[in-house]
Amino acid sequence: MQSQFKDKKVIATLVLPGIIIMLIAIAAPIIISLGLSFVKWTGFGKMKPIGFDNYLRIAKDPIFWKSISNVFILIFVTVFFQNTIAFILAMYLSNIGKKLSNIFRTIYFIPATLSLVVVTKLWVNIFNPSYGLLNKILAQIGLESLQHAWLGNTSTALGSVIWIIIWQGFGWALLFYYSGIVTVPDELREAAKVDGANKFTLYTRIIIPYIMPVIQAIIIIDVTSSLKQMEMIYLSTAGGPGDTTQFLALYLYQRAFKYSEYGYGNAISVIFVILAFTLTILIRKTFAKRLESL
Amino acid sequence: MSNDTNLIYKDNLKERRKKNISKTILMIVLVFIALLQLFPLVWAFSYSIKTSGDLFGPELLSFPKNPQWVNYKTAFVDGKILKYLSNTLSIIIPSVIFGTILPFSLAYATTRMEWKLKPLVWTVVIAGLTVPIHTTLLPNFIWFNKIGLLDSHLGLIICYIAFSMSFNSIIFSGLLSGIPKSMEESAFLEGAPYRVILPSIIAPMAVTGFSTVAIQTFLNHWNEFIMANTYLSTESKRTLPFSLILFDGQYSSNYAVQFACMVLVALPPLILYFAFSSKIMTGVTAGAVKG
Repeated sequence: MQSQFKDKKVIATLVLPGIIIMLIAIAAPIIISLGLSFVKWTGFGKMKPIGFDNYLRIAKDPIFWKSISNVFILIFVTVFFQNTIAFILAMYLSNIGKKLSNIFRTIYFIPATLSLVVVTKLWVNIFNPSYGLLNKILAQIGLESLQHAWLGNTSTALGSVIWIIIWQGFGWALLFYYSGIVTVPDELREAAKVDGANKFTLYTRIIIPYIMPVIQAIIIIDVTSSLKQMEMIYLSTAGGPGDTTQFLALYLYQRAFKYSEYGYGNAISVIFVILAFTLTILIRKTFAKRLESL
Repeated sequence: MSNDTNLIYKDNLKERRKKNISKTILMIVLVFIALLQLFPLVWAFSYSIKTSGDLFGPELLSFPKNPQWVNYKTAFVDGKILKYLSNTLSIIIPSVIFGTILPFSLAYATTRMEWKLKPLVWTVVIAGLTVPIHTTLLPNFIWFNKIGLLDSHLGLIICYIAFSMSFNSIIFSGLLSGIPKSMEESAFLEGAPYRVILPSIIAPMAVTGFSTVAIQTFLNHWNEFIMANTYLSTESKRTLPFSLILFDGQYSSNYAVQFACMVLVALPPLILYFAFSSKIMTGVTAGAVKG
């Protein structure tokens, strides 16, 4: 090994700027959150140390638990529902010829490139009860009875919000599966065919195991992005009506910036970070076992 | 034809017909989903060239005889697009430049050089991928206020770079680990220092990585809303998404102009996507799977 590869000055110049910026904007706030989670504070005046009271309050806060349960509903829907559809479509798209599949993939990914603010505004308008597209379609096909104030009604708000999330996120899942499936070497497919595998066993025995790392990546993304879901809801229902569409990240934001409960907000932040890490590690561990056993 | 071959022939025909039917169904499904993705956008565009009164008609989709292109002019002026756009660019350009160079340097040092703290630093980088932005909003709001970074473009730039470090470092590290070490070794023999080797020998080998990372980072920042919304409180410092938010208040009944504004904000990323779609797609998948 040449000494140049160990030049400390060079290493410091290369590594420090990036790491310092990460420490300022990512590590420091976590530490600050931890510290401030033990006080009561409105942002002005004196902080009042209150021990673990904020955490005890979280444990008993029904809206906090509502927001967590909504996060898990969203995780469930994206992991099982969105992924299955995306996988099946990716499977078909990999079989219909390059040209056609390129066209479809390009179209399916368009919503994913749009900004959240645009997408949310768009769907708020589509769901609008007086001039929205959805109610107009229902009127045209004679289903006036199904017309709703989609985002304003407690029974449809959560479903509508989840629909928007999937409408935009679907393209990503499809893209990942597709790029996974097309990397499976042709020899593997051929060998399976020689062994008499039909389409179904080809997928369950060869292709799915082969793209396990891709599936793991998608599930991690599904889980973390469900946890982080906020802007869309902030701009559409603001958690309402009556907290039915409350999500963890939004609840944290409202506690902090709407109600100026800095101590409580920071305690939720701490729980949030812990939850994000635990879930990510859990998924990695689960998959590590599965990947080994193959 | 003998009976046997006739049977086989019939069987094949049946199978082929079955295949054709399932192919047609498949096509219908694919087209239906494509419509689901496209129709809302076309619908929004059609509204953007109507008058606000036209919106309440019963038809699903129609293009007016007299397209109101003036809506775009109104959106551009009343949405303060120019002001917000220049803010957005003055934040995004440094964020993309440093959000590409710093991860490249970090990835270089961690994949190709030898030092003690390497595993620790790399763990921090990977962990950064998991931290939700929202958990940093409140504490950063508090301490940026103390150190004068709140309500400044610099504060936002620092956050944008920080949150693109992990993902971009991972992509570069994947690329760099594939380059043979003899590249640098022969340059060392000729006495070239690192500040020459990195930009003139190594960086060009990772040039596809640079474009992928830069485009992806650009799109992320272009669409970023919540940090800008939280840290920037002065109206005149805010970024492009706020041109849409503006219409919530004072112009809330001018629907058609809102739609025009939506189209204006959505257009640049769309153009970028169509120009570079292959780069965006390969880069993103590669990085995410490795991470």
